[in-house]
Amino acid sequence: MPLNQISPQIIAITGAPGIGKTSLIRRSIQENPSEKILYFSPGAGTVPIDSTQIQIEFPDVQILTEGQELELIEYVEQGAIAYIELGFHLDLSSGENLLQALSEYRTERIAIVPKGLEDSEWYRWATEVRTAECNFDLDQIQMWRSPCTGQMFDPNSLNVIWYELTQGAYGEVCRCKGIFDLPDGRTFYVDYVSGDPDSLYLPLKLPRWLDGRPTRFSGIEVMGRNLDGKAIAQSITDSCLSDEVISQYQQQIKQSLLVSA
Amino acid sequence: MKIAVMSCIHGNYEALETVLRDIEQQKAEKIFCLGDLVGYGPFPSNVVEMIRSLDIPTVQGCWDEDIVEGLNSCECSYPSVLAEQRGKFVHEWTNQHIYDETREYLAELPKTLLDGNLAFVHGSPQSQHEYLLPELNGFIALERVLSTGADILFCGHTHIPYVRSLDQGQLQVRVMTGVETLNAESRSFNTDLKRIVNVGSVGEPRHGRPNATYVIYDTDSDQITMREVEYDYQKTCAAIIERGLPAIFAWRLAKGMEYAERADDASHLCERGV
Repeated sequence: MPLNQISPQIIAITGAPGIGKTSLIRRSIQENPSEKILYFSPGAGTVPIDSTQIQIEFPDVQILTEGQELELIEYVEQGAIAYIELGFHLDLSSGENLLQALSEYRTERIAIVPKGLEDSEWYRWATEVRTAECNFDLDQIQMWRSPCTGQMFDPNSLNVIWYELTQGAYGEVCRCKGIFDLPDGRTFYVDYVSGDPDSLYLPLKLPRWLDGRPTRFSGIEVMGRNLDGKAIAQSITDSCLSDEVISQYQQQIKQSLLVSA
Repeated sequence: MKIAVMSCIHGNYEALETVLRDIEQQKAEKIFCLGDLVGYGPFPSNVVEMIRSLDIPTVQGCWDEDIVEGLNSCECSYPSVLAEQRGKFVHEWTNQHIYDETREYLAELPKTLLDGNLAFVHGSPQSQHEYLLPELNGFIALERVLSTGADILFCGHTHIPYVRSLDQGQLQVRVMTGVETLNAESRSFNTDLKRIVNVGSVGEPRHGRPNATYVIYDTDSDQITMREVEYDYQKTCAAIIERGLPAIFAWRLAKGMEYAERADDASHLCERGV
């Protein structure tokens, strides 16, 4: 979906969980190449799942994190295009100071809103509203998230946790997504949105990690109601591999890669 | 005569009581139990007490053995790291919640029971830990039945009930008669119809519903009837949480999913106890 014909320089996007905010940004980056593109998602904290995915897909895009707002303004002054993604868990006013500071630049505020929510604050905030299907109620949604950097998941256990999560074992989950390292060195992006028949399992284009525990980011974010974060954390802890097992796996994979080379 | 065969109660007292009532209504005259009285569920000692008080002939299950001997699993016991961690936690919990005399009773249980042309085991005649999955190689399946001398082998352990008829009861064996000549002599054995009857699970079903399953066998009509019995599983779920077991077990029980997933590789032969 192209943005406006006169391309804005600042594109701020907000909306419901799993409704396609990051997907819209990814499509837009692809369709509107530019010398300097920025991606800024305040509130991602220590679990920057979306920005990690964008960085892998578009290595030339510069990812900025909280605290780098002045840098972002400087880059925009030099002509960069900035995508600002405001997560559902953030108050809509949270990006306002930054957007005010950038008000002299052409700005598009896009809200992706579930059908039937015409009287929402998104309409007051946005310059353009797009509606999309959303199969869950947005009331009382809470977020649980955790970095998993350094952990490698037993694949069978990850399947079990994902099934339990998406089927409601830890509360009513509307959306969960994560980046997970597996002992064969691959990294997967996994994504579930309530109402979709299947989860997405996407191998990320990263070199296999075969030397000890990974230092690159991995993590999980769950949105829903009555979430039992302690139980999720326990299951995650119980699914991660020990140093010894990781080392065994990595040796096996290295050998098999040597044989097939 | 009708006999009832049940297995894998796993400390689920509520399910056991309901199944015993159903057995009475079915007018079964004798009951056999294929073990796994303890493990995962919240009332291991109460289940054992009930089985003992009714003097039900029982074989030792894998969990019963582990609680006596300690954990010494083959890889098929734990298809995932998560299942292993959960299994170890609950093994320790059960260890702390059973009485000494319960442990003594479990230690003395036989591995196989024979009654006429019927044999009763938990997993297989080879080991309490071996899964006789319905897709198991026919040769091995037949060998397992023949090793008992029985016509019907009743087992549990997989938690999914099934009846398997081995009606092409022929085993062919090539026996090397001389190393130097590399000649092989073929010997074949013909057997009558043999059957493997998996009776499912009373306390930890895996068929997508929380209901208990067991089997009634009519020795006169040779008829095997699978029974699926509803019980108040919510009581067991509440007890799981009250007694300090992981809440995820309650959720899995309610879904009829077992507390931890089990191995599903029919070609794997358990190395435990071999």
